[in-house]
Amino acid sequence: MLFKMAWRNIWRNRRRTFITAASILFAVLFASFMDSLQRGAWDNMINNVVNYYFGYVQVHQDGYWEEQSIDKAFPLADSLEQVSAVEGVEAVLPRLESFALAAAGETTSGVLVAGILPNVENKMTDLENRLVEGEYLTEGDEAVLVASGVAEKLGLSLGDTLVLISQGYRGVNAAGKYPIKGIAKFGSPDLNKQMVYLPLPAAQYFYGAPGLATSLALKLGGQEDIKPVVAALRTQLDTSAYEVMDWEELLPDLVQARELDTAGNVIVYFILYMIIAFGIFGTILMMSKEREYEFGVLISIGLQRWQLALSVWVEVILLGVLGALFGILLSMPIVYYFKVNPIRFGGEMASSLEKFGFEPIFPATFDMQIFMTQALYVFILTAVLALYPIFKIRKLQPVQAMRG
Amino acid sequence: MKRILLLLFLLPFINGTLIAYNDPTAKEIIQKADEKMRGESNIATIKMTIIRPTWEREMTLKSWAKGTEYSLTLVTAPARDKGTAFLKREKEIWNWQPTIDRTIKMPPSMMMQSWMGSDFTNDDLVRESSIVTDYEHELLGTETLEDRACYKIKMIPKPDAPVVWGEIIIWVSKDEYLQLKSEFYDEDGYLVQTIYGKQVKEMGGRVIPSVLEVVPADEEGHKTRLEYLSLDFNEPIQPSFFSIQNMKRVK
Repeated sequence: MLFKMAWRNIWRNRRRTFITAASILFAVLFASFMDSLQRGAWDNMINNVVNYYFGYVQVHQDGYWEEQSIDKAFPLADSLEQVSAVEGVEAVLPRLESFALAAAGETTSGVLVAGILPNVENKMTDLENRLVEGEYLTEGDEAVLVASGVAEKLGLSLGDTLVLISQGYRGVNAAGKYPIKGIAKFGSPDLNKQMVYLPLPAAQYFYGAPGLATSLALKLGGQEDIKPVVAALRTQLDTSAYEVMDWEELLPDLVQARELDTAGNVIVYFILYMIIAFGIFGTILMMSKEREYEFGVLISIGLQRWQLALSVWVEVILLGVLGALFGILLSMPIVYYFKVNPIRFGGEMASSLEKFGFEPIFPATFDMQIFMTQALYVFILTAVLALYPIFKIRKLQPVQAMRG
Repeated sequence: MKRILLLLFLLPFINGTLIAYNDPTAKEIIQKADEKMRGESNIATIKMTIIRPTWEREMTLKSWAKGTEYSLTLVTAPARDKGTAFLKREKEIWNWQPTIDRTIKMPPSMMMQSWMGSDFTNDDLVRESSIVTDYEHELLGTETLEDRACYKIKMIPKPDAPVVWGEIIIWVSKDEYLQLKSEFYDEDGYLVQTIYGKQVKEMGGRVIPSVLEVVPADEEGHKTRLEYLSLDFNEPIQPSFFSIQNMKRVK
């Protein structure tokens, strides 16, 4: 009976209902939109960093990431097949990485020499498309592909000889000279200043590490594959010999930056919710004021106060459900639109983002969970605010109310 | 009474001369031991084995040395390092890397770095410092090592010596002046490494330890072993042999 009364009350004054429901709807819409956009920006940034070089998951010999020494290289043949067989792994990128001194004429510079399988590497990092000059490497080459920053610093151009000196596997003497076959440009200044790519067989000879690799970077279908792949690898590989790390463990700096940014947004969300809360509260306040006469009459003719309070509370809750539901429905196409057509920065903002190796776009993430969570928050907010008319009704003086 | 006082006063001096008369001074011992291993000049082929807890690696070297001024070391095996050479001329050290056609002048800052991944430092290889002229020597006493009576000598580097050690304690056998053991300490008095001279035998007409082992103090299971395969002393070598040009073509 009370529910029926509440339902009818809602539709008795359609304009009032519309205003209240709309304020809830917009609250849900704003909160979801903001959350989707923020998460989308971070997902995009992580995708960028991860696909530039690191990969979502890497496998090394146990202890390698802690102390990155070429002495912790492992035999490639044993591990490669095992890792490629895991479901969700699209490609395995074996690498032999170590630092070396690069020299040309009288200038020297510290570089990171990465031995790669050119074809496989291309599948994830799209290295070939970063070439600005020359040609991409092939597996049998005795040549290097250098980042443009390295070439610039050493004053080298295409076809010049790059001299590399380092300490190889188990302290062997590593020295070699290679013609520059290609020059690639990286967005990230860190990578651009220090990357030198060698085909894996040439790098293995250079470092005196035949058949060895220091890391396997894995290309996965997407972020959702990380957990199952890591779990599968940890059960299948000998964990006393290998370490399996996802990008969050590989790049704790990035995770911390994201956490910091998210923590900063808590304040923004708090302000947003405050505004939303006052908006909704305003409509509820207006409604209870407007209906004081009606409440007075109902109590005078014998309706129990708790019955009246309950019916009004149910009324507001129904409005909340309605508003949240339509809020979700309306958010979906909007967020989807911004996922497909991301916000694109132009001008100075864009060039500064590009300098850090990020695309200057902010796509939204389309995730049902975001809508549900935001709708739930707004709904809870409404349910709490709906307590106001209950207090009002408890203290209502029917006579005064009817006179008013 | 006066005489007795005079005697008491003089006694330490007399005593001192007596010791000096019986035994050579610490500096003389070191000088003899150093001369013994070095000769006027020497030519050696050496097998170097780097020993680590999980693996071992071998290299063969050929070395020429003349006095303390000149030395040349050539890597003859393994194949990937063959032809790499190190030249010392007076205070300068040069490295020839045939794979990159380059001669590198090694800065003093690289002297304490590992040589070709072994427990030897670049300094050990070319010995920029001399155990005779760069240290103050003090005889600590005698001890028996491997059935040989040895002098135990403490060596403290002179203030301006190009040396990183705080102190070296060295055991030199009395009979043949063999350097059987040397302990190297840092400035804070901690043991850094010990070098053992082993397998004493006659080589090139001299009785010397034919195996040198370097054992770093703080790394369990690490060791580098140098074994002299052949050693010839006092073959005439011209100083012009120790040139950058020759370093590139020597075999």
